Formats: sequence, C-alpha cells, structure tokens
Amino acid sequence: MIEVLDLTKRYGPRPVVDGLTFAVRPGAVTGFLGPNGAGKSTTMRMMLGLTRPDSGSARIGGRAYQDLRYPARHVGALLETSAPHRGLTAAHHLLWLAQSNRIPRRGVGEVLDRVGLTGAARQRVGTFSLGMGQRLGLAAALLGDPPVLVLDEPVNGLDTEGIRWLRELLRTMAAEGRTVLVSSHLMTEMSMVADHLIIIHRGRLLVDTSMPDFIRRHGRTYVRVRTPDPRGLRRELERKGASLTLAPDGALEVDGLSAAEISRSAALGGFTLEELSTHAGSLEDTFLRLVGTEGAGTHV
Amino acid sequence: MSETAAAIRAEFTKVWCVRGTFAALLLFAPISVLVAALDGWSARSALESGNSQLRDGFTPEQAGLDGVLYGQLALIAFGVLVFTNEYGSGMMRVSLLAVPRRGRLYAAKIAVVAVAATVVVVPVTVVSFLVTQLALGPYGVPISSAGVPRAVAGAGVYLTLMSVFAASTAAMARSAVLPLAILLPMVLAGTHILSVIGATKDLARYFPDQAGAEMLTVGSSDAYTGFAVLLAWTATALLCGGLRHRRWDA
Repeated sequence: MIEVLDLTKRYGPRPVVDGLTFAVRPGAVTGFLGPNGAGKSTTMRMMLGLTRPDSGSARIGGRAYQDLRYPARHVGALLETSAPHRGLTAAHHLLWLAQSNRIPRRGVGEVLDRVGLTGAARQRVGTFSLGMGQRLGLAAALLGDPPVLVLDEPVNGLDTEGIRWLRELLRTMAAEGRTVLVSSHLMTEMSMVADHLIIIHRGRLLVDTSMPDFIRRHGRTYVRVRTPDPRGLRRELERKGASLTLAPDGALEVDGLSAAEISRSAALGGFTLEELSTHAGSLEDTFLRLVGTEGAGTHV
Repeated sequence: MSETAAAIRAEFTKVWCVRGTFAALLLFAPISVLVAALDGWSARSALESGNSQLRDGFTPEQAGLDGVLYGQLALIAFGVLVFTNEYGSGMMRVSLLAVPRRGRLYAAKIAVVAVAATVVVVPVTVVSFLVTQLALGPYGVPISSAGVPRAVAGAGVYLTLMSVFAASTAAMARSAVLPLAILLPMVLAGTHILSVIGATKDLARYFPDQAGAEMLTVGSSDAYTGFAVLLAWTATALLCGGLRHRRWDA
C-alpha cells in the first residue's frame, strides 16, 4: 500500500506536483500515467525519499521511505535517473546492493537469472545496451523480494520480447498480492497491463479509477459513414443532434447517433451509404483528449 | 547500528569493484616507494660527490618521508573519486535508494575512505622510509632514530586525514574537477610557494597541508599544533560536505 497525501513540490514558482492525493492498493497493477513533464518522476522520487516535498507526505506501508528498515526488502524501485556506475559488473552492482540491505548473496544469481542477464553477470555496466541496463535495474528492484514495486517508465529501452516479459512479471507480482505502481506516458502500454489507472497532468490528479471503469466512462464510440454526398448527410445528421468530423479519407465520423439511427435518417433523406461501421476510439485518443482539454483549461 | 554496518560493507565492495577508485588507492604504494627510492639514491650520490645540490636542512631521517608526500596525490584522488564517481553517474540515487538515510550513507563512505586509506598508508609509509634509507646506503639511518617513530606515525595520521579531507571536499563540490584542481596543486606546490613569500608565510602555516606537514617533520615542536589545525580543517570539511549531501535534491 502506497499513500500519497497532499503532496506538493515547486521548482521555482511553478508547482511540478500540486496537492496530489491518491492511494495505490496491493494486488493490482496501477498505471501511473501522464504526458511528459506531468510530475510522475518527481512524485516517485518523493515517494522514495530522494526529493523532499514542499508539503504533504508519501508513505509506503504506513511509513516514510527513509524510515523503512532495509528498504530494498520493502520496496523495489526503478528510476529513470538512477543508474549503476559504468565501471561495475552487473553481479558486483547487485552484490553491494544485497550487502547494503543484508539480502543473502544467492539472491544476486537468482535475480540475474530472472531478468535473463546470467550470461552478462561479469560484464561491465558501461558496455550494456539500453535494454540490458533496464533489465539490470529491474533485477535490482526485485533483489529484496519486496511487497511493493515502484517502477518509473520500465518499458523504456526494452525490446518487444522484453516488454512482453515485463507485462507478465508485473501481472504475476500483482497476483501474488504485491503493490505495483508503474509509470508511463503511453496509454496503450498501460491499457495492456494496468488494472487501475491514475492519470496526472500538470502535477494534479485527473483520473483515479479502475481500468474497466475508465474505458466505460471515457472510451469514445463513433460511427464511420461514407456517402457520395457528405455535405448533405452532414446537414441531415447535425439536425438530429449529432456532431461530425471529417476523416482524412473523406469519411464522416459521427458522435451521438447509433448506426441504426444514421441508417434510418439516410434512407429517409435518400442518401446512399457506401460504408457504415461502429468504432471504439483508442484509449490513447481519449487520454490525449483528457490532458488536452485539461491543459487548455489551465492555460486560460 | 547493524544497518550502518551493512552500509559500510557495501561501500567497501564498491571500492574494490569500481576500477578507477581502487586503482587510485593502490597507486599510492608504487608512487611513494618509487619516489622514496629515487630520493635516497640522488641524495646519496650528491653526498658522495660532495656537491651542495642538497636542499638546506637535508637529513636522512626527513628524506625517508618524502616519498609518501608525493604518494598522497593518489590518496587525494581516491578520496575524491569515492564521492564523485557516484555523483557523476546516476549511482548516488541507487545508493540513496538502498541507504536512504543521508547521514548513514555519508558516514559509511567516510568510514570506508578512512579505513581503506589507513590500511595502505601504514605499511607503505614504513616501507618507503626503509627504502629511502636503503638507497642512502652508508648515510641511511634506522627507523628507530630519535624523532622518527613519531614522524612516521604522524605521516600516517596526516595521510589518512588528507584522504578524508579530500573526500569531504568532493561531497561539497559534487564534482571531481574543483576539488582536484584545488587540492593537487595545493599539496604539490601552492602553499609551499606561499610559505616562501614573506607576506603570506604566516598564513600558509594554517593551510591543511602545511599544518599537517608539521606532523611528519622529524623533531618538529609544532607537530601537535599542526595536527590540531589539520583536524579542524577536516572536521569543517566533513561538516560542510555532510550538510551539502543531506540537502541534495536527488
């Protein structure tokens, strides 16, 4: 369980995180979403005691991160800005981490195996690819077998196979009853793994809901219509209260009317229909619309 | 306490396993011993040829401690690298995730610098002294000569304190460039030049290296004053470095 209470951080006059309050529950993968610069990383750094909040607090299992005894056994963390020294081998990096938190030495081999880096154990971190570095970061997070995971953009740098492996890992961890918080700026990625969604924008909470609920409330459905006389049909449908947009390929996208209603109107008005199909808008579009409108609102 | 002990153990592993840091620490030995040997040889040939190229106030006792004064460059680099290696990469954040109490991490790093420095300083100082005397041949003196044991011990304390001083300045600067650019010229030449110039002579005595040098001057009456001054420098640097590390917004 992670609790964030009225967390605020300013850099200069601009608040980067602005009165943020939410809780991350165990047994689920919680997606922490926001466009770049929304304040995700700063929030995570405050959770992990790296950055001091101006006000508010973050607690993990009821305690501030700094007050956790051997924190790697409680929280597995991966941050974008944290990286092992280039001159260390993967195994040595995990070894000192294990020693600092009194984790048995055999844990090093186990996590290297788990992230698929056994073959690179004696290789220096400086020679690693982006994906290997990310796997090593995940190995470090898993080292203490922690009940809580806090991962900042863990997908970055992973190849397709790595991404699939990570999704599986996150789901397994959640199914084991652990608390899993994963940040991303990509809605599509989140929709494939998250059970719960927290969206922030400009440091403020925008959405805190379950994934199915989010899709039900914000997933946009529209009907695509193609006709030789788009202008005429458009006038006709707008009279019925629909809102229309013109797709780049010349088709009309209709919001607010069902396919059956459109078909009836077209028949009555004598319009020929060359295409009539119902679509679910992508969650990525929904997300962009959400942060877009919110963004416009804050500007004014 | 056991958390601190675990942190110290982890810091030791880092020192062994990060190449640059360990190399700097080890380099102290060959530099010191080599300079000690050359010092002895050149002094011996000067003495034998009867020319007056020797420094004023040359004594074989004091010459035995010249080697480690050059070797200390490596120790300073070591102390600086222990911190700046981590600030330079994202490593300090990983360290803070593992050991989130800032004071604990800082203390563990300083302890490792002090202990690692002591472990190499003690034997290397003794060996360097003996090597110089060996090279001096007939002009060599035993290590038990009057004033020598205290000066050798003083050298050990001086070198360890300088390593810690270097490490804390690196924690203050969070980058290797500034501390190295100030400390290396300082111990090489800087304050020595100041001490020759009449106007700055009195001031130069209170610089860490000049004050500390009294500790390894055979028969110096200011050894303890020098120790106190260097200790004050080190304590101040430790405090400032600690505060800066504590306030760092990672």
